Amino acid sequence: MNALKRLVEELDPLLHERGRLAIVSVLAAVEGLTFTELRDTLGMTDGNLSVHLQKLEEKGYVATTKQFVGRRPQTTCRLTRAGRQAFSRYLDHLEAIVQRGRGQARA
Amino acid sequence: MDAREAARTLEVIRTLMERTTQYQLLTARAGLAAGSMAGAGALAFLALDPDNPWHFGGVWGAVFAGSLLATCLGTVLRSRRRGEPVWSRQARAVVLALAPSLFAAFVLSIFFFARGQHLWLPGVWMLCYGQGALATSAYAPAPIRRLGIVVLGLGGLTLWLGPAWSVVMMGLVFGLGHIALGAALLAAERRENAIRLHRSVA
Repeated sequence: MNALKRLVEELDPLLHERGRLAIVSVLAAVEGLTFTELRDTLGMTDGNLSVHLQKLEEKGYVATTKQFVGRRPQTTCRLTRAGRQAFSRYLDHLEAIVQRGRGQARA
Repeated sequence: MDAREAARTLEVIRTLMERTTQYQLLTARAGLAAGSMAGAGALAFLALDPDNPWHFGGVWGAVFAGSLLATCLGTVLRSRRRGEPVWSRQARAVVLALAPSLFAAFVLSIFFFARGQHLWLPGVWMLCYGQGALATSAYAPAPIRRLGIVVLGLGGLTLWLGPAWSVVMMGLVFGLGHIALGAALLAAERRENAIRLHRSVA
């Protein structure tokens, strides 16, 4: 039981929030998405998405670039290398928790 | 977090990643509608003459228009239900991938009708359809990829069998084929609804 608890405690706290995890999951599947595409895909509000993105950016998991398309400003979000590594680690931890749980159920 | 919750989170992540990259133009109900229309189109030739280009073009033109309408309607309704934009990034990519096949089918239809050889068209349409389905394979779920391969093969078979089999093959491939695909997609949609991911995450 202690091993399982330790695994859970090792989960990245920044990613262990469903909104941020959803953002990182979606960005992990593509090269990049505009802010609008990301918002529409996840059904989040602008404010909610901005807050989560800011936190992910501060940690260096997400990079945003701002440019003008015609006269309209467009923000593109992409997962950084550190973000991909953190996401990969997070998935590994979840897998380990599942495996550990199955092992305990069999025992 | 226990093992059950971890497994569910992994499933949610997988579905989210698939949702971002996958796009299915044909909905289950649109597939069933298209199959029914194609089946009815094939049966209409019990009374109509397939050698008559007006009959042949009229029936299959109507089936194509009806299927297109059902697809558009199905896509709009699904997008509304999910609260997603209709003309999304994936939708644009899929339509772009389909465009060359649709263009080829259009040009070849004119070519064969102009030469009075329209009964060869079913095989050509199937080849274009299969190619189009495979062109979207980067975005499409597995049943669509399998459909593309099967229809490509059946297109070749239809050309080999010749004009005498054109109506029968249209009924089998676009009629029964779409009904079978629609049933498979319906089962997949029910499984997806059972997961109910998306909203619970965002």
